[in-house]
Amino acid sequence: MSPVIDLRELTHRYGRTEALHGLSLTVEPGCCYGFFGRNGAGKTTAIKCLLNLLRPASGSVSVFGMDPARHEAAVKSRLAYVPDFVAFYPWMNVREALDYQSSFRVRWNRDTEAMLLSRFGLDVRQPVSGLSKGQRTQLALIGAISAEPELLVLDEPTSGLDPLVRREFIQTVIGAYQEADPGRRTVFVSTHLITEFEGLIDRFTVLEQGRAVLTAGADEARSKFRRLRAVFEGDAPSGAEFRGAKSFRRDGRTLELVVNGDGDRVMEQLRSCGPRTVETESLTLEEIFLTSVRGGGNAS
Amino acid sequence: MVPHINFKSGVPVYLQIVQQVKAAAAGGTLRPGDPLPSVRSLAEELRINRNTAARAYSELEAEGVIETRQGAGCYLKANGVSPLRRTVRSDRLAEELDAVIVQAHHLQVGDDELLELLRERLREFRERLAQRQRVEAAPH
Repeated sequence: MSPVIDLRELTHRYGRTEALHGLSLTVEPGCCYGFFGRNGAGKTTAIKCLLNLLRPASGSVSVFGMDPARHEAAVKSRLAYVPDFVAFYPWMNVREALDYQSSFRVRWNRDTEAMLLSRFGLDVRQPVSGLSKGQRTQLALIGAISAEPELLVLDEPTSGLDPLVRREFIQTVIGAYQEADPGRRTVFVSTHLITEFEGLIDRFTVLEQGRAVLTAGADEARSKFRRLRAVFEGDAPSGAEFRGAKSFRRDGRTLELVVNGDGDRVMEQLRSCGPRTVETESLTLEEIFLTSVRGGGNAS
Repeated sequence: MVPHINFKSGVPVYLQIVQQVKAAAAGGTLRPGDPLPSVRSLAEELRINRNTAARAYSELEAEGVIETRQGAGCYLKANGVSPLRRTVRSDRLAEELDAVIVQAHHLQVGDDELLELLRERLREFRERLAQRQRVEAAPH
């Protein structure tokens, strides 16, 4: 199967500010793809290029194997996009807003719509002008998923939401979306709140200052990025001695190293210094993200 | 029986589910004919991708640990006889043991200590199984 999204060497600038610099990434069908970056890293710019809301200065964009600039209607009929800030016509109520959205769609799953409305406890008679930020996002997501698109593009879907609500809510939405045809329903989600997506993400790209600094499978990344923690009898050796360690922290008798795929060799070297104990654990996606945007060693 | 996912273990998520279902079967927590949660509820419960949950189940099915009854969900297979040939089975085990040996090395656990630990774990599993059988045999 051909990729759902294929970005090649995407570059874009706003005036003199470079927003994207040679960004390439590929999203396979059925994948839940994370697009991680800090605010201002270029995530939204890349998504706008994907949706033909913005023409990149150079590079190519392909969605479902088509150029969204030349086949805009064909591409847009097969995807749904939920931006970080959702606008509705303020005079509509929830029912009218959903009917309005469904009027643009070929497919509309009433069962999914009803299930999510009741799960989120949204009253269809309520005017959208009275909805909270979280409820507006919920409404936008119900609209996106009921249309049963092949590709769901979410831009910071949970920012500004109550942290307790966030996790449950994203699981419900993505679960309902993947329900019918999991092999072909693709999710592309941009976020800087990574923890709640930990178990959902199959693959991800970390974007930093417009550049892809890391692209990996989630399981693969977690097995490569490890934290080694050694406790010594006396003062811990300097972390700078350990080549291959990405970052380190030294605190009296404790030395903490972060490695990327070089764990066994660094572990050998660490053991040769005669520590009292050595522990190792994998980094979570959020920690991997932080390590890759911080760059190399933060010496102590 | 709902597995517990540890994202810090470095073990692929689907494999953690596979290993825990097998461990539950070996330890008697899951018994032949016991139902497993559906792919959907497993995914929701663990907050994981549905494809990951489905992959774990198809792996367990391929290894003959569970069976899918049409429209009725997944069950632990009666009698858990592995359909894999003996050599394949020992290859699989060897891989798992290698990982344990590497880990023991990192934790500076010596060979004798590791062997003793293995014996102790085997005893523990036998005892757990025996205890379950006693509980079942006891009149209610």
